Amino acid sequence: MAILQRLGINVDFAPNQTCCGQPQFNAGLRKDAKEVAKHTIKLFEKTQGDIVTPSGSCAHHFRHNLLELFEGDPEWQPRAEVFSKRVYEFTEYLVDKLRVTDLGAKWDGLLSYHPSCHTLRGINVNRQPRALLQNIHGATLVELPNAHECCGFGGVMSVEHPELSAEWLKRKISNFEKTEAPTLVVTDAGCLMHMMGGLKRQGKPQRVIHIAEVLNQR
Amino acid sequence: MSTTSFRKRIRQSIENETLQTALDNNTERRLKGKAAAFDSIPDWRERRVRARNIRADVIERLDEYLSQFIANAQANGIIVHRAKDAKEAIDHVLRITDHATSNSQSVTRKTLIAKSKSMVSEEIELNHALETRSINVIETDLGEYIIQLRKEKPSHIITPAAHLKKEQVAQLFHEKLGIPYTEDIPTLTATARKVLREIFLTADIGISGVNFGVAETGGMCLVTNEGNGRMVTTIPKTHIALMGMERLAPNLDDLALLLSLLPRSATGQKLTVYTQLLHKPMPGQTRHLIILDNGRSKLRNSPLKESLYCIRCGACLNACPVFRELSGHAYIGRDLSIAPYPGPIGSVISPGLFGENYFQLAQASSLCGACKEACPVDIDLPKLLTRVRAGQSPSPSGRGARGSAPKGYEGDGAGLTWTTKLALRMYTRLSTQPKLFALSQKFASLGAHLLSPHSEWMRLPAFTGWGYSKDLPRFAKKPFRERFTARQITDSNVSRRWSEAHESTKAATSRDVALQINRIQQFTSELTALSGNAHPTDDPTQAIIEYLTSQNVKRIYLQPNILNEARLRQAGIDFTHNPDPTLTVGVTKAWVGLADTGSVLEADEELFGSLLPEIHIAVLKSKNVLSTLADAIELTKGKNAVFITGPSRTADIEMTLTIGVHGPKEIHVFVDDSKRG
Repeated sequence: MAILQRLGINVDFAPNQTCCGQPQFNAGLRKDAKEVAKHTIKLFEKTQGDIVTPSGSCAHHFRHNLLELFEGDPEWQPRAEVFSKRVYEFTEYLVDKLRVTDLGAKWDGLLSYHPSCHTLRGINVNRQPRALLQNIHGATLVELPNAHECCGFGGVMSVEHPELSAEWLKRKISNFEKTEAPTLVVTDAGCLMHMMGGLKRQGKPQRVIHIAEVLNQR
Repeated sequence: MSTTSFRKRIRQSIENETLQTALDNNTERRLKGKAAAFDSIPDWRERRVRARNIRADVIERLDEYLSQFIANAQANGIIVHRAKDAKEAIDHVLRITDHATSNSQSVTRKTLIAKSKSMVSEEIELNHALETRSINVIETDLGEYIIQLRKEKPSHIITPAAHLKKEQVAQLFHEKLGIPYTEDIPTLTATARKVLREIFLTADIGISGVNFGVAETGGMCLVTNEGNGRMVTTIPKTHIALMGMERLAPNLDDLALLLSLLPRSATGQKLTVYTQLLHKPMPGQTRHLIILDNGRSKLRNSPLKESLYCIRCGACLNACPVFRELSGHAYIGRDLSIAPYPGPIGSVISPGLFGENYFQLAQASSLCGACKEACPVDIDLPKLLTRVRAGQSPSPSGRGARGSAPKGYEGDGAGLTWTTKLALRMYTRLSTQPKLFALSQKFASLGAHLLSPHSEWMRLPAFTGWGYSKDLPRFAKKPFRERFTARQITDSNVSRRWSEAHESTKAATSRDVALQINRIQQFTSELTALSGNAHPTDDPTQAIIEYLTSQNVKRIYLQPNILNEARLRQAGIDFTHNPDPTLTVGVTKAWVGLADTGSVLEADEELFGSLLPEIHIAVLKSKNVLSTLADAIELTKGKNAVFITGPSRTADIEMTLTIGVHGPKEIHVFVDDSKRG
């Protein structure tokens, strides 16, 4: 938010917003997902301007899943379409909409980047966060081995199938360690919580942080 | 509870180190191979779009294409049967088998069927049905043969024995085939060759699958590598092909496009060793085709319709992180039966075709999208998985279903455990009532601070799922909504930054213009890369005499009218035009060659020259070297033809490439550059 404001953007936060409803959608609870989505659409219809979300998977949900959810619904399909066109993932908004790739951020040391599945494949956002990271002064970007692989969060899956989730997490953390970077940057709160939780559980000193946090260092 | 059995099976897979190593090998080699194969078609993205459109059109107008296909196949002499379900398909097979063997010589031995790989036959559990009727059915694909000996099901739709290590195959062959224990993969492969060769030559019936039916010509396309597929479709007096009703291509052009993607996606090959186009029976043979519905019509009229675009390449399995941990055998239904189709596509079509028994499979995915990315026809598998989870499968019950759907399996949230479902429903209540949502955030924060007063991370017990492998961050004391103030930052730098900050446009990298390589040179280098041999010559008869003499070969099978036979005799080379399975060298005529894959196109009938001998010699006129399969495919119309791409091969044991399985171990193409003829 501080970054957007520095760029001269008037930022507002609708206090009544809750969750995008992706957990319900992904679990197959479409009736529930619709309820949550309607709440969100109604809320944002009272506002103007672009909608920026700090998680690629929320952007993916708003952009693609809502259209799937309300397909053929005479009332809600058009409303979902209008809403979904206003939504941007954070780095996508900076690079594609604001045309900014250098925020004058400073960082000392190695950084690695994990492209979250829904950011990378869901909404095809990859060059944007990479461009922003390339332009951080003082930072050296180290490529994460097998970066494209899922970290194992997968929302409800990490609770329904913890065994699978744990295996991928192990793999991801071991790949992260190969980079020797102390910090892994992500664009999704889900992956962040999952991987950071894994590092904590294993007693590892490395950190996973959101890209906004890095870009805000000056 | 059933999901617990599924989770148990998942744990077993994860804890099985042998399996994990085998799976890692499979995944890595397949992904690398696929990437390399796609490098050779820079326009693959456009091809993928076209392939998707072709498949979408086929599924949209399926009835039309099916009628056209069936009419053309029948006109060519193929006997076509329709089966609405597994039982009808099996009945057709049994009837054909009875008929084919009723008036055969009164030998008392059991009816023998040689079978090549067919996922449809797995789907209808054909082998089991045949065995209960005392029919001896032998799987002849090396991987399928191994798992048949082990009494297992395939663990992968392309490499059925991908879950095994060579030590296990060594032990199996030692026990079941009585050979001395050896881990040498070529020796194991050679053993299977020897045992199965007898089966091919004596089988009453051959059964195969079909990769594509061609509506416009009534032809069946089969892609295989080992040579067994060619043998079962050409040697026995009766051939039965099994095909899912959706596996059509409108015409040969469209088929050529699909064939440029299928082997690349499946095995990382530009073309499989044997790409057959079967348009009619072989001389003296009866050819049957059974077209199976088994739930496909229902699937077509359901929200899972897109899953019928699938061309069964298995790329989504190789790309899937779930499959990489599980292997095919862990994809089980609630009744513990192994799903006929595993992996991402299997988690859609197994529930789609067979109902709620397999709903739980669709919940085992993080929806990471690697499958969609890998799919050569761009099937939106994550979307389809969420549709299965939403209870949008066409059949509420089906194979393996016991009674009515129990709680937790009906409609919405299909395959989800009831605890998760309940939690999510509560979350919905909160998410639609902002005040309650805010309040619960406060409560969660309070609770978290009580639970974990000193650390920002909480350790939850394993049964919560989350606590299984990771900690949970303590919720913030003040949620963001309370911390948020919309005050503007009055940064004097704002406007300066704004004007300074522009995305640097990268200079478009100039693409290297592809070198114009002479087709013959390219043909030669492609064939050589496949361990084949190209011999340029002005006088093929002389060159072949010299080659045979150097190899000390005295007698060969020779296709008529391609070499100067008088000169062969003079040189002391004996030859026959008649089938003789004991000969080790066969010489055949290549109609054309393909530069970009190193393939030769020939008559499939010449199997005693191009398939059974250990050494296959093809004579190709240099002027007949074309660029790609698309330039040559029309030549197959109305014929039984085969594109041969290198010597027969397999990677069924530990993904190790082994040359010479059921077909030739060597292929020599004599490229005739003479001006005569």
